[in-house]
Parts: sequence; C-alpha cells; structure tokens
Amino acid sequence: MSGAPGPILEVRDLHTQFSTLDGVVRAVDGVSFDVARGETLGIVGESGCGKSVTAMSILRLIPRETGRIASGSIKFEGEELTSLSEEEMKRLRGHRISMIFQEPMTSLNPVLTVGTQIAENVVRHLGVSWKQGRERAFEMLDLVRIADSRRRLDEYPHQLSGGMRQRVMIAMALSCDPQVLIADEPTTALDVTIQAQILDLMIELKEKTGTAIVLITHDLGVVAETTERVVVMYAGRKVEQAPVEALFEEPLHPYTRGLMRAIPRLDVEADAAGTRPRLQEIPGLVPILTQPIVGCAFAPRCSFATDRCRNERPPLVDAGAGHLVACWEVDRVRRAA
Amino acid sequence: MTDAPVLQVDGLVKHFPINGGLLQRQVGAVKAVDGVTFSIRRGETLGLVGESGCGKSTIGKVVLKLIEPTAGRIVLAGEDVTALKPGAMWTHRRRIQTIFQDPYSSMNPRLPSGTIVGEPLENFGIARGAARDDQVAQLFRRVGLRPEAMRKYAHEFSGGQRQRLGIAKALSVNPDVIVADEPVSALDVSVQAQVLNLLIDLQEEYGLAYLFISHDLAVMRHISHRIAVMYLGRIVELTDKRTLFTQPLHPYTEALLSAATAPDPKRRRQRKKIVQGDVPSPAKPPPGCHFHTRCLYATAECRVTAPPLLEVAPGHHVACLRRPVGGDPGPLSIPG
Ligand SMILES: Nc1ncnc2c1ncn2[C@@H]1O[C@H](COP(=O)(O)OP(=O)(O)OP(=O)(O)O)[C@@H](O)[C@H]1O
Ligand SMILES: Nc1ncnc2c1ncn2[C@@H]1O[C@H](COP(=O)(O)OP(=O)(O)O)[C@@H](O)[C@H]1O
Ligand code: SF4
Ligand code: SF4
Ligand SMILES: [Mg+2]
Ligand SMILES: [Mg+2]
Repeated sequence: MSGAPGPILEVRDLHTQFSTLDGVVRAVDGVSFDVARGETLGIVGESGCGKSVTAMSILRLIPRETGRIASGSIKFEGEELTSLSEEEMKRLRGHRISMIFQEPMTSLNPVLTVGTQIAENVVRHLGVSWKQGRERAFEMLDLVRIADSRRRLDEYPHQLSGGMRQRVMIAMALSCDPQVLIADEPTTALDVTIQAQILDLMIELKEKTGTAIVLITHDLGVVAETTERVVVMYAGRKVEQAPVEALFEEPLHPYTRGLMRAIPRLDVEADAAGTRPRLQEIPGLVPILTQPIVGCAFAPRCSFATDRCRNERPPLVDAGAGHLVACWEVDRVRRAA
Repeated sequence: MTDAPVLQVDGLVKHFPINGGLLQRQVGAVKAVDGVTFSIRRGETLGLVGESGCGKSTIGKVVLKLIEPTAGRIVLAGEDVTALKPGAMWTHRRRIQTIFQDPYSSMNPRLPSGTIVGEPLENFGIARGAARDDQVAQLFRRVGLRPEAMRKYAHEFSGGQRQRLGIAKALSVNPDVIVADEPVSALDVSVQAQVLNLLIDLQEEYGLAYLFISHDLAVMRHISHRIAVMYLGRIVELTDKRTLFTQPLHPYTEALLSAATAPDPKRRRQRKKIVQGDVPSPAKPPPGCHFHTRCLYATAECRVTAPPLLEVAPGHHVACLRRPVGGDPGPLSIPG
C-alpha cells in the first residue's frame, strides 16, 4: 500500500468559488500542494482564508447549490477526484480518505449509538459482517483510549463529553485504515488539557498506522507542535510553504512574520518588572473575496509593498530547501531581520 | 497602581439550582462558584483562567450584579454592593462595566453604532444631544474608529471593529472596573494584537482595573499583572504572573502550562505531564480536592479533605494539601 512512489494527494491550481448575493466569492484562488505518504501537513491561516473550503474541495463536499470547483486538479493515489461521480466519492470518503471536524456533534448521528455508527462505516466500506464491525468498533474505542469502551459502544453521542466525542470521531475516521485523514480544527472547541490529549493521540496513531494527516488550524502553536510541513494561506492563496522548523526559524513571507509577532507568546521569558511590551499589529483587515485581487493579496497591509506588488501577483519561488514563498520582496524581507 | 482595592470579593458563592422529578423540585445544585476571594487595585489587571465551565463568566456576572450571589460579599470602591437591589444599582453600574466575547449579540442591529455607544451617556444622564455626539465622536477616535463611522450599523463592522465599539461603550461612563469576558477569543490573531494593545493603552491612560477572563494562557500572561487559576468553581492558585509561569505550585496550574502549545517546533514532545481524563461536572464535583481525580500527586487524604487557599509565600496563594505555608517549592513526588 505505502510502498508506491509519489505523494498520496496532489492538489494543483485549485479554484473553488461560491455565488452569493454580493458576487462570486473566490474562496480558494489557485492553491497547489502535495501530501506525502504518512506525513503530517499543516494548513494554517486566519478565519476565512479558505482552509475549510480546501478541505471540502478535496472531499468533494462543496454545496452544489452555491459552490463549485471552478478549475484545478486533485489527485489521490494518482486518480483524479474532481471528475469522480458522487457514488465513487462515497466509496472513498470514510474509507481511504476520511475526516474529522471541529464540532463532532455535526458529524455524529444523534440517534445512533457510537458503536453502531462506527460498525456501520466498517460494514459499508469493508463488507464485513455486523459482528466483525462491532468488534472493530470496540477495538477502535480502545485504540483512542476511551475508558470502559465496551459500555461506551452502546452510548449515544450526547452522553459523551466534548473530548470523548472527538475521540469517537477519530475512532470512526480511522476505522477503515485510511491513507489520508483530513482534520479541520479538530481541537479548536476543546479545553487545553483535552486538546493536548487529542493532539498526542492523533500523532501517536499516525505513527502506528502510517495515515497521512492534513491538519487544518488557525493556531500556530498547534501547527508548530504537531506537523512536519506547513502551508500558510492568505485570502484563498498559498503564500508560504516550508518544513515546520524552517517556517518558525525564519518565516519569509511578511504576512507569516506579522502573524508570529502579533501573538503573545508563552515560551518567551516575561520580564521581571511585569511590563507588557506592545504586540506588533498587522494593520488593516483581510481583503474582501468578492472582488478580484490584482497583485499580492497582502499588499494593502504590507510594509514592504511596492508598485509591482500592487499590480502583479507574486509567484511562489523556492527560497531553498523546500521553503516556498510568494513575495516579490523576499530578499528585502530577509535582510530586514 | 495604588494599594486600596477598587474591587474586593469575599467568599463569593453562586449555586444554580437543578430541578427535577415530577414536581420540578430542587434536586441539587451546580456549584458554579464555590467560595472565591480576590481583590483588584486601580490600574491592575487580574486574570481569571481555567477550563470551560469552571465558573469564570459566572464570577463576572455576579460582580456586575447581573445575577445575585448565593453568598459572599462584593465591595466596589469601598462600598458594599452585595445587597443593593436593582433600583439602587445606578451608581454601581457606572463604576463597573463589561466587554463581551461577542459584542454583536448585545448590540441592537437597528440602531446606528454612535447611538449604541452613546446609550450609557444618556441612561446615566451624563450627556445628551450634541454634547453626547461630541463625546461619542471622541470615544470613537480614542478606540481607533473614524467618527464618521457613528452612522454605520453594527453589522457593517468587522469583528475587531465591533470589539472597539464595545470598548468605547464601556469606557463612555468612565468606570473604575471593566469585566472583560474573553474579549479577544473570537478575533483573529492579527486583530487580537490591535485590541490587546488598545486595552493596555486605555488602562494606563485611565487607571482602569480589569477583571480579565480568558482560557488562553498566552493572552493572559500578556495582559495580566496577577492571575487566578480556577478549577470547578474554586481558585486553586493566585499570584503575580511571573511567579505563576516560572514557579507554579498547584498541580493543575502545572498541567495547564504543560498542555499549552507554543509556536516553537523545538518544544514538541516536551509536553510530558499531560493530565488525563475529563473535567468533572460542577454539579457533581469530586469530594475533597476537586482536582484529585486527575492529579498525578494525589494522596488518600486528597480524596476527603478540601484544601483551603493559603498564602504559602508572600502574595502566592495555593490550594493544595501538599503545598503548605512555607513548604518546599520544589517538584512534588508521585505517590507510589
Ligand atoms: N444560568 C445558569 N443556570 C444553571 N447553570 C449555569 C448557569 N450559568 C452557568 N451555569 C453553570 O455554571 C458552571 C460555570 O459556568 P460559567 O459560564 O461561569 O463557566 P466559564 O468558566 O465561564 O466557562 P467557559 O470557559 O466555557 O465560558 C457551568 O457548569 C455552567 O453550566
Ligand atoms: N457555502 C458558502 N457560501 C458562500 N461563501 C462561502 C461558503 N463557504 C465558505 N465561504 C467563503 O469562503 C471563504 C473561505 O472560507 P473557509 O474555507 O470556511 O475559511 P477558513 O479558512 O476559516 O476555514 C470565506 O470568505 C467564506 O465566507
Ligand atoms: S509581494 Fe509585496 S506586498 Fe506581497 S508580501 Fe511581498 S512585499 Fe508584501
Ligand atoms: S490537594 Fe492533592 S489532589 Fe489536590 S492538587 Fe494537591 S496533591 Fe493534587
Ligand atoms: Mg474553517
Ligand atoms: Mg465563560
């Protein structure tokens, strides 16, 4: 299964749009990336930058009435997903590609026990018996370390805490040994101690099963502690991509730099006097996606911007060692320390 | 910062009844706040941190007198306001204001933003008509909004701008204390920095005291002078922020700190002491020390005796049986 060469998932020049009363929302505006087998890829950016729409596009869950993949290609194991029928997608989803979301209640069925839901997924995709499906459900609840798993099989989602529901979602998502798990803000709704438990669990299971993870989050701390490679998005575009160490060691895009300086940090020594140094603000607001953006989407907020930035979209260039950045002024940015 | 507290809270208790059975009689109580004591000085930020449901917002609502305490005492600028009935609350309300996580939900969508911000000025009879408009325009400028925006409606503002509106409104009556309940939690980081900087500037300019509620430790450390860590309705540790982050003494504080993520890949895998299990329900808190079900260091006694909050070192309050007054601040041993 994993011996095959090449990335497991290849997204190329993806454009996903919605028609709204205000015009066409260019939610994803030309995004490309690969996911290697067994890796953890982070996608990070502020709300509205297109992270969830990217995930929904891969899973082909964009609401048909208003949205569509306007162009681009998504290949899973070399197979083009954008042209698959809904039937064919259903066979993939929850089996070879699976997903977990921020709010597990929206993806769990409130009237079925968690055991039944996991078993159903296994029976449907792997064609095993109900008994084997139940057994698999039990194994999975054990795997995600739900205490008293036999009894929990017969409980309904509302009987579980938020953290336990997220464990059930993970159990269900991994029940058919997927090659890719897409996790969209999986810990955002959880308390910090529970978030730490869930992140640890995901990484541990990834190491055990070899499932590649696409971890979508707005939280730079979560990205830093759990992923291997990171894609930074801004206004529907990929502005930077790098191995996680390189990204945090030397962010190259002015937006990424701005983000890292804007967050209060726990790992930097607070000064003894208890003074509160000013956080660096990123001035202005994210652009409105209903208007086509010429040039660099970050230009109105960027202190490095030139006329070229306002008129020509910067291409992604390799700044060395797999560190890609879409910025015309990267040399100046680098020198600015 | 002067020494007299502008807000003093003693032994605050808030229980919400749980009704059940055929007659909907009270069958229990959610002990949302269970004996909390703290004070805040002029110009000071006291941070309240803890996981969901530990009682942070309830404390905020009680000190604002939006809900009545079950027991305890609230002293605002030297005046005991615990027993004040709603009618007598005017002066109280003027001294203590609030900023919410989602200011939008508390704003009338049909009123222009200038009218919303100017409401307290009218209500308290501070200014009307043109004088009010002048003051509102000044407030808009002070929080970084253009005065022309007074004509716009709440939905025409971004999240960060709405938070500025909320701040302007709270500021309008020149309060002593502002209760800020997760004021930046719904904001993107780039906007969060703008609002945190503004809150700090205003505090320094007007000597405001903040009761700042957040679940985000990094935000908390940035804005607070002192921090109270809560668990299931009780304060388990209270000290200045530097001590809290460099020498936490309560096992729950230690757990929170080690669970927090930081934007530094070198820190990964350093999180070794992750507490297991869920936060118990405040309707059925564990006996003894509430934290014993998840505490690595719990002993038999912890299951029966509730630890009082003690000042174990000057200014450092801890509620843990294994952290006595003047005790060794070193790491605790895990019972065999
Ligand atoms: N009006 C109410 N009636 C009954 N129970 C309540 C009421 N308000 C709060 N509670 C309960 O009191 C406890 C404390 O709630 P509170 O809102 O103060 O928590 P919090 O610390 O602010 O949590 P969060 O971080 O989720 O905002 C919770 O168990 C909550 O369900
Ligand atoms: N169903 C939809 N209809 C219209 N616009 C949408 C829809 N879903 C998402 N969008 C828009 O697409 C953009 C990207 O959204 P999303 O991917 O959800 O952002 P995030 O990065 O926060 O996950 C936003 O401007 C959002 O408002
Ligand atoms: S391309 Fe120009 S505007 Fe865009 S980030 Fe780089 S310097 Fe700034
Ligand atoms: S009193 Fe006991 S259970 Fe509670 S925090 Fe201290 S050691 Fe842990
Ligand atoms: Mg999203
Ligand atoms: Mg709250």
